[in-house]
Parts: sequence; structure tokens; C-alpha cells
Amino acid sequence: MLEINLSGLYLDSPIILASGILGVSFSSMKRVIDAGAGAVTTKSIGPRPRKGYKNPSIIEIYPETFMNSVGLGNPGINDFCSEIKEIKKLNIPLIVSVFGDSNDSYINVAKKAEQSGADAIEINISCPHAEVSSIGIDEDLTFSLINALKGELSVPLFVKLNPNVTDIGKIALAAEKGGADAVVAINTVSAMIIDVNTKRPILSHGSGGLSGKAIHPIAVKKVYDLYKILKIPIIGCGGVSNWKDVIEFLLAGATTVQIGTALNQGVEIISEINHGVMEYLKQNNYKSIIELKGLAHKYKTQEVPDF
Amino acid sequence: MKNIIRTVKIKNITKECHNIKTFTFNMKNGELEDYISPKLGQFALIWVPGIDEVPMSISGYDNDGNWSITVKNVGECTNAIFQLKVSDYIGVRGPLGNYFELPNEDSKIIFLIGGGIGIASLKCLASELYKKKFKFNIIEGVKTENEIIFMNDFQAFNNENSEIFYTTDDGSYGLKGFASDFFEKLIRGYSQENLSDSMAYTCGPEKMMYKIYKICETYNIQLQASLERIMRCGCGLCGLCAIDPLGLLVCKDGPIFKSEYLRKMEDFGKFKRDITGKKIPLD
Repeated sequence: MLEINLSGLYLDSPIILASGILGVSFSSMKRVIDAGAGAVTTKSIGPRPRKGYKNPSIIEIYPETFMNSVGLGNPGINDFCSEIKEIKKLNIPLIVSVFGDSNDSYINVAKKAEQSGADAIEINISCPHAEVSSIGIDEDLTFSLINALKGELSVPLFVKLNPNVTDIGKIALAAEKGGADAVVAINTVSAMIIDVNTKRPILSHGSGGLSGKAIHPIAVKKVYDLYKILKIPIIGCGGVSNWKDVIEFLLAGATTVQIGTALNQGVEIISEINHGVMEYLKQNNYKSIIELKGLAHKYKTQEVPDF
Repeated sequence: MKNIIRTVKIKNITKECHNIKTFTFNMKNGELEDYISPKLGQFALIWVPGIDEVPMSISGYDNDGNWSITVKNVGECTNAIFQLKVSDYIGVRGPLGNYFELPNEDSKIIFLIGGGIGIASLKCLASELYKKKFKFNIIEGVKTENEIIFMNDFQAFNNENSEIFYTTDDGSYGLKGFASDFFEKLIRGYSQENLSDSMAYTCGPEKMMYKIYKICETYNIQLQASLERIMRCGCGLCGLCAIDPLGLLVCKDGPIFKSEYLRKMEDFGKFKRDITGKKIPLD
């Protein structure tokens, strides 16, 4: 019931581990799969080791809402290839998130990830507190990068979208035109928190990206809007913490979802969510989650208010 | 709410020795409704505004919400903590992680082995064992005499039930040599029968803890070891503190691991991850 074909990637569950969460070691990714995820996405990997920002870099600000500015800290693709190979030994569907500092550098990292065994590549052009976000806010740069990558890769290519733009649809269409096989909507929402006692921003970088419960309705709206204009599948991402959040994304038009922040409650919640989705399908006489895709669009919403 | 940073004023600073100080602050701070009291061996993430945020064992706490951390001046962040004065603000989130389990009531022999500043995470445990009238031995191992801390606190536990031993690498105080070597010497004085009902607790440099673990395995002693790793989140998200091959997280599944888990850790005593996530040999 939960099986799904995502652009040629066959998953046992629509729940995918989001990038940046537990994605540095094969062992923690295996744990996420054992808990019932359909696939895992690694932390974003770049061309060389990078420390990222100092702590505080991942903090909770309201219950189940977090803010982070890790700043793409990662061990670099050359070291990470061994981790990819370890994961592939376990036969885990693996999406490697990739970033670079130029089109060529993105291609170089993505190709190394593919050669080491990645089943799909997710392109990070949207981290709101790092340089790469300059691509994700520009249609032409997005098209040029995705088009260049598509020609060099044979595995599916996903593009993670930045919500901090005036029109996410334009960027998504540019990614689709460039050859993206799916989009991930959304990355974190640009945000800031200031401590009233010390009177300074708490995150070492000052600002960061908001994730978790608070951004779920924002993400649902983006997925809903994108479903109207895109032909390629949408992976819903933002504040999934229970089965209703998953169903909501599917109804808005997502094919699968990603989960991240909610895993601070323990990876075990994935199996609970799978169970909840399954129960929903049974109670509503659906045979597959694919039947739910975009159902919320059946209903006309009021375009012009009454006067 | 334990993951939310709370900025609090330092209430008291005690100099423990030339490079170790204890800082006390109040975590109730008028916000009683979401206060969570620490348990034995839990830790907090300590934010020094403008510098960094690092994990620290909670070395003391009381019913009024006063917590303390005991800090050795070893790096940039701890040096910044060292410069702080009473009434300066620090950010605290916690209590984080799991906690020490008390031994069975019929446990005949209990060992607490602290290496260097690691003794700080065992202090509350020692106090609790003393209150509950357990018979226990503390071994505090340090490099040299002027790094010994908590001597007065531990002196209060020294009675017919408990014994406190000090080891120094250079022999300047107490017994000369490593805490782990003395631990093995000490347990050789017990019968194997008694040892199988015993429990050991350790915190300190991981290579020392690994030696303690090996000794405990040889003599069939249950061990609880408090581990340390670099971390960003303290709550199971960043994955930097994952220990292969089970993917156990020091921040959430730990910091305290029992023998049954230590046995399955390939990284224990050997590897950690740096801030980039790369696996590197332990110091």
C-alpha cells in the first residue's frame, strides 16, 4: 500500500529521510531505514571538507520547531565516498545531497556520488544561510546548473527548492525545463531569533533556517501551488511529524515526503507514521498512496471574495 | 523544552584547582512550569555568547533548580567560560541524554573511576550512592597533584562503606600511575564471586575508559561509561555523535552506555567524528 515509484526509484514507504538530519554515517542512516523509511538522503556533500558555522547551530525555539545554521559543514565528497559504499553494501535506497561552488564543481561531486553508488542525486541550491542559495533564487542559474548536471548523470536528479523567493513556481519550472526528475519542496525558511537577556542573535551565524512544525503549512501551500504547474513529481518536505502531515502533503500533490526535524523525538516515529498512513488508506478504501495524490485540487477554492 | 536555550546568570563560581572551576546557575528562573530536573550523569549544552556552545556534564543540582558545571580550561570555549564572572549570562539547554542507573540493592562492590575532569560527571552519582548507603570505591586519576578536585566533597563519603583513592601519573600525590592500572590492582583483591555482583561507572578520556572496559570484561563486571563526542544539536538530529556500527547517538541514546552496548561499538576507544562529520582517530 505504501510502495511508490518516485521517478524510477522504488520505495517501500513514501517517507524519505531529509538532508541534513543524521545523514553523515552509514550506521545512523541504516537505523532510519530499519525504522521504516523508504529511502535516506545524506547531508549535503560538497567538493571539499567544510567545518560550517560554530555552535549554536541547531536549536529548538518552540516545541517541535527548530532553527539551524550549520552552513553546509561536511567531510567533502572524497572522504564521503567510503560512507556511500558502506550504505550501498546494506542495499539501502540512497539519495546523495550535493552542492558545489560552480556548475563544474556540482557535476564533479554528483558524478563521484553516482559512481560510489548513489541511487539518486538531490541538488541543494537552497540552503538559506550559505552561498548556494544564490542559485536557487535565480531561474537562469537554476536552469543552467540542472541542465548541465542532467547531461552528466544517469540516476534521477532531484532539486531542493528554496522557499525564500518571490515565486517558487518560476524556479521549479526552470528546474523541470533543465531536466530535473523531481523537486523537493521546501528547504528551511529564512529566520532569526534574538535572546532578550544577552540582546544578541542566538545562532552563531545570526540567522538560519526554520524547520519543523511551524513551517508545515507553508510547505503544504508551496506543494499545492507547484502541483498546478509541474509535470514532474513533488517531494513534500517541511514539518512532517505524524501521519496526517504525510496525507496532507499527498493531498496537496506530493508523490512522497521527507522527514527531518521530528526525528528529535526518536527515529521510531517513522514506523508509527507508516502505520498511521496505512490505517488511513484502509479506512478510506484506498489500495495505494498514489490514489491520494493531488486530491485536494478537486475542490474549487474561492478565487474572488464576495462583495 | 529541554532543547530550548535559556539564558541564565551565573550565581556562583568556585575555583576547584588552578585550571578547573565550578559555575552555578539557576534554571528555574521564574519559569517553573517547564522546568525539568536533571538526573545522575545527564549533560547540558552550554552557550557562551559570541564564542561557541559545548556539551558539559552537570556536576551538581538541587531541588531549587540550581545546577552546576565543572569546567577545565582546555580550549577556546572553556577559556571563555573561565573569564566569566558572577552575574554574566550563559545559555543552557538541558538536561540532555540518558542517565546512570543505580546498582541493584544487593550489589556488593561499586567502583567509580574518573579520569581528569571526567570525575565531574560522577560526583552526583557518588553523592546519591552515599545517601542510599551503598558501599563504593572512588578512584580519581589525574596527571599531577594540583589537578585533584572535589577532595573535600569526597572526604565526606570516606567511611566504613566507602573508600576514596587518588592516582597521579607522576606520583606527586596518592598512588603513582594510571587510574585503570590501579582499578585492576584493586579488583584483584576481591573474589570473582563478589565481583560478578558488582557495578562500575566511569567517565574520562575514552582510551582510559576503554582500558576500564577491557578489565571489566575480563572480571565480568557490569560497566556504565559516559562518552563524549562533538555535537551540534544535542537531540538526535545532526548525527555527528553517531557511533558505528549501530548508529547509537551519544546525545540521545547516551552519553551513558552499558557493557552490552559498549561490546557492539567498533568506534569505542578508537574513533570519533570531527565537526565536518569525518571519522578520525581518538586523540
